[in-house]
Amino acid sequence: MNMITLIVALPLLAAFLLPISDRALGSVSRFVGPIVLLMNIILIMTLWQKSEGAPFALALGGFRPPLGISFYVDQLALLFALLVSILALMLWPYKADTNPRVFGLMLLLTGAASGMALSGDLFNIYVFFELLSVASFGLVASLRTGAAFAATTRYLIISGFGTVMALTGVALIYTQTGTLNLAHLATLAPQQLDNATGLTAFALILLGIGVKAELFPVNTWVPEVYATASRRVSALMAGLVSKLAVLVIVRLMVLIFPQPEAMQLMLALGVAGVLIGELSAWRARDFVRMLSFSSIGQLGLVFVAFSIPGEAGILAGLAVALHHLLVKPALFLLAERWGGSLGRLEGAGRRSPLAAGLFVLFALSLVGVPPLPGFWAKLLTIVGLLGQAAPLYWFAAAVVLVATVAEVNYLFRFGLTLFKREEQSAQVHKPHARIDLGTVSVMGVVLLTAMFLIAPLGERMQTIADQTTDRGLYISTVLGPVGGAR
Amino acid sequence: MTLLDGLILLALISVLVTMLGYRLPVIGWLTSALFAGQLLVLFLMSGLGYGGDTIHSSVALSIFGQPLSWRFDALSWFFALITIGAALASSLFAAGEWGRQYRQNGGNPGLLQFSLALNVLTMLILLASGDLLALFIGWELVSWASFLLMAMAGGAAFSWAMRYITYATGGAMAILAGMGMVYQMTGSLQYADLMAVAGQLSQAQVVILSLLFGSGFAIKMGVLPFHLWQAGAYAETPGPGTAFLGSISSRMGLYGILVVLVQLIGLGRLIEIDISFTWLSLRDLLMWVAAITIILPTFTALRQNDARRLLAWHGVGQGGYMLLGIFSATALGSSGGLMHVFNHATYQAALFLSVYAVVHRTGTADLNKLGGLVTRMPLSFLVMLVGIIGLAGIPPMNGFVSKWLVYRSLLIEGMPLLFVASVIGTLGTILSVYKLIHNMFLGQLRAEHSEIREAPWSMMLPMLVLSLIVFITGFMPGLALDWVAAAQAAVGLPVLQHSLGGVEMEQGGLDMTWLVAVLFAGFGIGALLFYSTGKTRHVNQLDNYAGGHFLTADVRYHYSDHFYAGLMHRIGHWYRESFQWLESVLISLTGFVAQGASGFYRIVQPALLMLVVVVLALWVVR
Repeated sequence: MNMITLIVALPLLAAFLLPISDRALGSVSRFVGPIVLLMNIILIMTLWQKSEGAPFALALGGFRPPLGISFYVDQLALLFALLVSILALMLWPYKADTNPRVFGLMLLLTGAASGMALSGDLFNIYVFFELLSVASFGLVASLRTGAAFAATTRYLIISGFGTVMALTGVALIYTQTGTLNLAHLATLAPQQLDNATGLTAFALILLGIGVKAELFPVNTWVPEVYATASRRVSALMAGLVSKLAVLVIVRLMVLIFPQPEAMQLMLALGVAGVLIGELSAWRARDFVRMLSFSSIGQLGLVFVAFSIPGEAGILAGLAVALHHLLVKPALFLLAERWGGSLGRLEGAGRRSPLAAGLFVLFALSLVGVPPLPGFWAKLLTIVGLLGQAAPLYWFAAAVVLVATVAEVNYLFRFGLTLFKREEQSAQVHKPHARIDLGTVSVMGVVLLTAMFLIAPLGERMQTIADQTTDRGLYISTVLGPVGGAR
Repeated sequence: MTLLDGLILLALISVLVTMLGYRLPVIGWLTSALFAGQLLVLFLMSGLGYGGDTIHSSVALSIFGQPLSWRFDALSWFFALITIGAALASSLFAAGEWGRQYRQNGGNPGLLQFSLALNVLTMLILLASGDLLALFIGWELVSWASFLLMAMAGGAAFSWAMRYITYATGGAMAILAGMGMVYQMTGSLQYADLMAVAGQLSQAQVVILSLLFGSGFAIKMGVLPFHLWQAGAYAETPGPGTAFLGSISSRMGLYGILVVLVQLIGLGRLIEIDISFTWLSLRDLLMWVAAITIILPTFTALRQNDARRLLAWHGVGQGGYMLLGIFSATALGSSGGLMHVFNHATYQAALFLSVYAVVHRTGTADLNKLGGLVTRMPLSFLVMLVGIIGLAGIPPMNGFVSKWLVYRSLLIEGMPLLFVASVIGTLGTILSVYKLIHNMFLGQLRAEHSEIREAPWSMMLPMLVLSLIVFITGFMPGLALDWVAAAQAAVGLPVLQHSLGGVEMEQGGLDMTWLVAVLFAGFGIGALLFYSTGKTRHVNQLDNYAGGHFLTADVRYHYSDHFYAGLMHRIGHWYRESFQWLESVLISLTGFVAQGASGFYRIVQPALLMLVVVVLALWVVR
């Protein structure tokens, strides 16, 4: 089971060695990244096979928890670690003229992201979060245009303040409890964190980490950054990085802050995100900005879904998050050739019917047209929200439903633009790069497969949700049966 | 494998065939043959139409713990019959010369056939749904399939299709919210469970559920105030597509209302609920909405100068009669409402097809640019004549029977105001269908149309068959009333006692065979008198007088522009376009809010605020 550390260590090691090896080996180093990621995928698969879904914990450096650094490996963590590697592999910058530094940053991001998924204590999470931030700054600025640097600076500032907030929150928790191990915190939380201080700490961490998760109101960096970064990086940020930040928040909420106030705070911010994101997207007049705002709205939906108490919330949130993780990167990849204002894209779909068809497929799933997977995610969310007594949940359901109408409107306004008959002065549309279109096609196949396999997938997600919400299991797995006794 | 599996499999095969073979020149005939095959399977299931047992599909799923099942009962069969029949007629119409011309004009007839097949498949899936989840899945599939059909023409069709899908999504979301509530009340989405608790629901719950499901389904029917999208969206669809959409697509909303409001919740619950400060019950309110849906769109139709729009607006208005009949909850009224679905589909398809036959030959559907075509296209004229008699609800066509049933039940139930409202609607219908046939076929022939020939037989055949059905089911309404009665039984409405000729009642029934016989006898006597005097003389179509002056052949004397000028002088100022105004206000408001929302991303720099939050937080917990 010690192999699990390799998932984090391998990409990090490769990331640090790449700049050196690049000098020595030249183009060979291009293959290092994908190979490492492939190894990671195989590693995680075998681990999953071996553990048979049962969670296990790992203490690093020989200190038993709650003292040492610990990893907690359950199905949720493995799932996200797996998705990190798969998505990074799919969105790998394969272009020939890529700066080798970008490879290093990608691997750094992968390693940090896997670490975040697997970590079992707050301090480690914080460290990996920082590492992830640094990697993302570099990636976002990697196009080296002036606009990219300006957007990155803005992102950097907001991220920096976010870090301050998160760190303050962690510090507050530490002053209250004297520990940062999640399992230990879970045992202490009902006595020591179920108060105003605990809530404040949660709010600070939520907002701090929420910067990456595109949480309202700390997401003002999103439109600029996605507009200026390369599409693959935007795809990675919107699809993957945001979800990992959400994952951390969800872990904290399940284990440490199950108070209804904490959930409603997250719900309120999520609702505001849905509303503002979707409305701004409705007003956007170019594809990339539209996708950025839509991504804010979708992340709002993820927060809304996760704020439903209990298993239903985890299940709904997981469904929405996984769906968005597949769809948004695909749409960003399609945006590679569909930049600029909407008016200039008239007839673009007639030139590249495959790309336009894939756009329609993903857009249909995004707005939740049955039987595509997006529908089931939306259904779980709505049913879950309406199952709560608090009026805020009903309001959230109404907002989500109304936002869907706006979403349909802007996505298909764009979709129909693609199919407009070309004017006399036909714009020259470059076809999509083969690698982009290929990646999106694979994602489309995954989406359709998921549609047919929705019943078994649903069962699998149910077990993950069961396991994730089981606090007792987490505590006893990390601290042992004795330590877990409260 | 049950017959239902076979039917849906065949529909699926039709979709696949049209998808793969859309470039084939014979694709139209092939699709028609496949639709005919589906109709055949439906006839094998015809036991359903006469009270046979429900046919279940052998496909059943369970997703996220929710069982999904599909089945066909008498109601599904009745709607499926209309659906496939309309698709067959439209497909046949497009298969021959129409399709060739459409291809020459840059259209894609294969795509049209594919869209038709897809619409039929999705509608069958909707009609077969055996629980609320399957119903919603079918509903959304139908919505998006119609979107494809509406948008495929490009150009102006895009903006109408956009309007449609925005409304339709709003409706779907209302239904989804309703489903969420049902799930919270019953813990499942099965029909049986909702039916079981329907009696115990509180009044507030019934009201909310009825409004959510009712408005969701009503949007597809274009019931006021959700009607703005329909006429334009249908009119911009390529020819036979319009006929298909106009005859059956919006009735899927009626199917949903029948299943959820009538079968599951029960109209009895709706009648119980009184609305405060009025003398109305919830059911009465819905009936008034239906009545207004008859009147306003019908008079909007009167003002249209495009034949397609005129008919499409009538499609909206006639939906009101169906709702009015069904919400009356009596055997008589609901049979009228249900039968009107069938009748409307038959004459509306015939009317649209005859309009498109004219468009095929003349290239325009503008009522100000046609006229006198009766000498050139007599069969199309005949089809339109039969169609408008049906639409206006005049004997001997089938539209009369269903409207009579609705009127009769309103009178018997003591709802004279509603009766008057629906008669006002009929008045508007008669006025506007006269405008339609007059401006297209009567009066003087335009010079540019002097060389026009009758539509080819591939287009005439479905038109003639449809008008024959319109007449036969008017002559012998019992043929259709059998199916209607079975459908009534399936949704738990009181069942109509009927005979082949109509309805026998103590308060005065209806026997169409007698009525038609008398009518034709009258015509016969008239014709006898007319021809026996021997004073007939053939005159040239252009041989006209006006105000005592002889008009030469080069002077046209044919009113079509500003038709009904006198009437419009009286009622013209009542057209306020309030709903258009309301819609644009809503859009502007949304735009205003959206501007504010995206302004947030330009103006706010949260970094400092974040610092303030941290300091405040520390101050709070200090």
